Amino acid sequence: MDIIVCIKRVPETAEAEIKVDPNGKDIVKDTLNFDINEADNYALEEAVLLKEKFGGKITLISVGEEECEHILRMGLARGADDAIRITDEKFSELDGFATAQILYSVIKDIHFDIIFTGCIATDDGYSQVGPTLAELLGIPHATLVTSIEVKGGIARVHRELEAGLLEAVDIKLPALFAVQTGINKPRYASLIAIRRAASKELKVLSSKDIGLEEPRRKIKIESLFVPPVTKRAEIIEGSPPEAAAKLAEIIKEKGLL
Amino acid sequence: MNFELTKEQKMLQEEVRKFAQEELAPLAPELDKTGEFPKESIKKAAEMGLLGIIIPEKYGGAGMDFVSLAIVAEELCRACASTGLVITVNNSLAAYPILAFGTEEQKQKYLPKLASGEVLGAIGITEAGAGSDVAGMETTARREGDYYILNGSKRFITNAGVAGIFVVFAYTNKELKHKGISAFIVERDTPGFSIGKHEDLMGMRATANAELIFEDVKVPKENLLGNEGDGFKICMNTLDTSRIDIGAQAVGIAQAAFDKAFAYAKERKTFGQPICEHQFIQGMLAEMATRIHAARLMVYYAAFLKDQGKPRISKEASMAKWFASETAVEVTRKAVQIHGGYGYTKDYEVERHYREAKVLEIYEGTSEIQKIVIARSLLRGL
Amino acid sequence: MKIFVLVEHRQGKVRDITYELLTVGRELAEKFNGEVTALLFGGVDEKIDRLKKNAHHIILVEDEKLKNFNAELYQKALVPILKDEKSYIMLIGHTAFGIDLAPALATELDVPISTDCVGIQIEDDNFITIRQMYGGKLNAKVSFCEPGRYIITARQAAFPAKDGNLDGKVISMPSPVGEIDYRKFIEYVEPPIEGVDITKADIIVAVGRGIKDKDNIPMVEELANALGGVLACSRPIVDAGWLPKERQVGSSGKTVKPKLYIAIGISGAFQHLVGMKGAETVIAINKDPNAPIFNEADYGIVDDLFKVVPVLKEKIQELKKG
Repeated sequence: MDIIVCIKRVPETAEAEIKVDPNGKDIVKDTLNFDINEADNYALEEAVLLKEKFGGKITLISVGEEECEHILRMGLARGADDAIRITDEKFSELDGFATAQILYSVIKDIHFDIIFTGCIATDDGYSQVGPTLAELLGIPHATLVTSIEVKGGIARVHRELEAGLLEAVDIKLPALFAVQTGINKPRYASLIAIRRAASKELKVLSSKDIGLEEPRRKIKIESLFVPPVTKRAEIIEGSPPEAAAKLAEIIKEKGLL
Repeated sequence: MNFELTKEQKMLQEEVRKFAQEELAPLAPELDKTGEFPKESIKKAAEMGLLGIIIPEKYGGAGMDFVSLAIVAEELCRACASTGLVITVNNSLAAYPILAFGTEEQKQKYLPKLASGEVLGAIGITEAGAGSDVAGMETTARREGDYYILNGSKRFITNAGVAGIFVVFAYTNKELKHKGISAFIVERDTPGFSIGKHEDLMGMRATANAELIFEDVKVPKENLLGNEGDGFKICMNTLDTSRIDIGAQAVGIAQAAFDKAFAYAKERKTFGQPICEHQFIQGMLAEMATRIHAARLMVYYAAFLKDQGKPRISKEASMAKWFASETAVEVTRKAVQIHGGYGYTKDYEVERHYREAKVLEIYEGTSEIQKIVIARSLLRGL
Repeated sequence: MKIFVLVEHRQGKVRDITYELLTVGRELAEKFNGEVTALLFGGVDEKIDRLKKNAHHIILVEDEKLKNFNAELYQKALVPILKDEKSYIMLIGHTAFGIDLAPALATELDVPISTDCVGIQIEDDNFITIRQMYGGKLNAKVSFCEPGRYIITARQAAFPAKDGNLDGKVISMPSPVGEIDYRKFIEYVEPPIEGVDITKADIIVAVGRGIKDKDNIPMVEELANALGGVLACSRPIVDAGWLPKERQVGSSGKTVKPKLYIAIGISGAFQHLVGMKGAETVIAINKDPNAPIFNEADYGIVDDLFKVVPVLKEKIQELKKG
C-alpha cells in the first residue's frame, strides 16, 4: 500500500507569546520554535501503522524552505521511505488553495493508495488543504478521521462529529484522509533510524520542476491583530436566582449547553 | 572550531528530549517517592535504542559516538534523574568496558543483550570499606582450574537489584597492589552471588541501588575481562569515560532546576512585581545560567575529545565532572531558594533536584578525587 | 447578491449552527438587497416552521441518500444549484459537515473560501472575514482575491442566532444525485465511557477552599453533571483528602484547556490560574469581590456559592430540557 503524507512545518505557539510583526500581516518568528504540525505527526504514524500491516512505501511531501528538511528527516526516522520538499521563492504567502495546487502538481505523477494530511494546522487553522487536494486529484476524502481500517480496497473510517459522537463511513480507495489528533500514539524514532535518516538524500523540487509557474491564491490576509482583551470579569448582578438564571443563559448562548 | 552538533546529533537531541519530557518527566515525582524501579520506562527506552548508544550496530547497538551519549544522558536526567542514571550506567559502566576491553566472544555474548535491554548491566567497584581508595578493595578472585572463585562484597551499586550482567573488580594477586586487580564479567544467576539490601537513598531513589555479595562465586575463566592485573587500568579508563556522562547528568539536573526556577520567577509576584524583576533574583538566574553553560561546554568538549580518539582524557573528563557536579549542587540550591518556602515542599520538584544533585559530587570519584586527578595530570605535563 | 445557507441537520434535527448562519445571512441580505435561501437536503423529522421564519426561500431536496450527511453527495447536490450563479455568498457551518464539504465544493466551483470565520464585515465594498489564528492568540482580517462569489464557513456559536419573522417559501427540487460507490454513510457511533481525565473535558466545574466541607462537594458535582462536564478542584481540596489528585488543576496538578471552566469557591492564587488560564470561557463564583480569580474570569457572580450553585444547576437543567 503506497501512502503519501503531506506535512507542514509550523511554529509552536501554544506556550509562546505571539507578536504581530511591523508589516502587520505576519508574526515575529525569530524567537519561536518550529516543528511538524501536530495533526500531521499523527497522520505519519497512521501511515506507518498501515505500512506495517500491508507493506508498501511512504512518501513525505512538504512545501517550504530549507528549514523544513528537518521535519522531513524526522519523518524518515519515524518510518517514511522517501521525502520530497517543494520550494520556490515565488511561493511566499500561500493560501490553502495554492498549497493544494502545488501538492497536486507533484502528487498527480506518483502512485498512491492513500494520502494522509492533518485535519488542521495549528498556525492558520483553515482545515482546507486536504479536501481541496482530494478534489483536484478527483479522489474521495474524509476529514476529522479518528480511526481507519482498510480491507479489500475500502477504508472504514470514523469521523469525529460534535459532542463526542462519531460517524462510520466507508470510502473507496484511492482516497485522502485528514486525520484528527489523538488517532494513535506517535512512536519515537529509534536511534538507528535517526542515523539513517540524517544521511538520506531528500528530493527538492522547484516550481519549474513541477510545471507550476504561479500558484493561484484566492484569499489573502489583510492584517493580523491582537483580539480585544477583557481585563475584568463581567459581574452578573442580582439575587442568587436572578444571577444564576442570567449565567445559565450566557452558558447556553455560547453553545456550551 | 565547529560548535555545532551534527545533523544526526541534533535529531537525536530533539527526539530524546521529546521522549524524556513526555514519558519520563511525569513519572519522576512518584518514582522518587516509592523508589520503585521504572521497568516500563526502561523498556520504552530500550525500544528506542537508548540502552546501547555506543555499542556498534553489529552487536545490536546504535553505533553512535560519545557526544551522542552525553546528549542522551543530559536529556534523560533533565526529565528523570533516576531513569537517566539507570540508562547511563548500562551504557558507560557496563557496556563500555566490555566493548573497550572484551574479547570478540565476550562482546558477541554480552553486548547484544545490553543493547536490547534484554539484560541490564552494572559495575562493581566500590566496597563498604573502599570508595575513593579503589585499590583498598577486599574482594578477591582465586584461580581454581577453569574458574575464578570470587569472595567479598560491593556496596552502593546502581542497577544491582535488576541487572543481569556485572563488571566486577577483585584482587587476583594482593602482592602486586593495584596491579593485582582484575576485572570479571559476572552473570546474575551464578550460585553464591546474591543481592543485598536495597539502599534508601537521598535522591536517585529508583535505581535499584544495592549490595553485591559474593560467596565462593565460580566465574568461568572466559569471563576474565582483559588480562589478570589489568583491572585497575580498565577501571580507570572506564571511569574517565563515564565521568563525562556524570557531567552530562549534572548538566541535565541543573538545567531542569533552572527551568523551573526561571518559570517560577516570572510568575511569582512580590512587592508588586514578578520576582524576576528583582536584582538579587536576576543575579542568581545569571549565575545559574552561566555555570550551566560553562559546565555543558566542558562536558561536550571532553566527549568530543573522546570521539577524536585522544588517548588520555582523564584531565578534561575530571574537570568536566567536578565542575558540572558542583554546578548542579549550586544551581539546585539556588533553585530552591528562588522558590522560597514553596521550594522546601514536595509540591514543587526543585527539592528533589536538590537531593538528586548531591550524589554527583560523590560517585564515580568524589570532587576531591577529581581534583587529585586534575593536579596529577597537570604535574605530568598533560 | 444571493445568500445561500446550507441547513445542517443530524439524526432528524436541525442543528443550532443553522440558525446562526441564517441570522448572519439575513444581515448580509439586508446589506446587499438580497434574499436568503436555505438549502435543506434529505429532510428532517421535525417541523420546519423555525426555518421558514428565518429564510426567504427553502430549497428542499428530498432524497433518502441525503438524510445522513455525505460530503460527496452533498457536493453533487449543491453544484447544480450554484454553478450558474454569478453573485452569491454560500454560508456553511465550520463543523464536521462543513470541514468535510466546503473546501472541496469551493474547489469544484472554483470559488474562494474563507473557513472557520468568527466575523464578517464589509469594508469599502470589500468582503472581510475575521478568523482566529495561532490558537486564538491573534485574529486575522481575510479578504477574497476574486469578487462575486464567496464561500464562508462559520465557527459554531461565534454568531448569535436571532429568529426572524419571514415566511420562507418551500421549493421542492428533484434530487440531482445518483448512487455512488466511493463514499457510504454507515452509522453513528456513541462515545465509550471511560475513567476521568479532566484534561480531556470540554466543561470543567472546579471547587476550591470555599466549599468548606467534604460533604458539600456533591452539590458542585451535580452542577458538573447537569452541564455534562467534569468535577475538578484546586489544591486545598486534594490536601484535605476530599478529592483525588487526578482532579487537581494547577501548577502542581493538571493544566486544562476546556471550553468552559467554572471556578467555585476558588480564590485564584496564581498556582491555580496557571493550570486553567487556557480555558475559553471562565466563570467564577466567589463571595470575595477582590478574589484574584475575577481577573482571569470572563463572568463572575460575587455571592455565597451555597446560595448560587443549587439554583444555577436548576436553571441549567431547565434550559437543557427546553
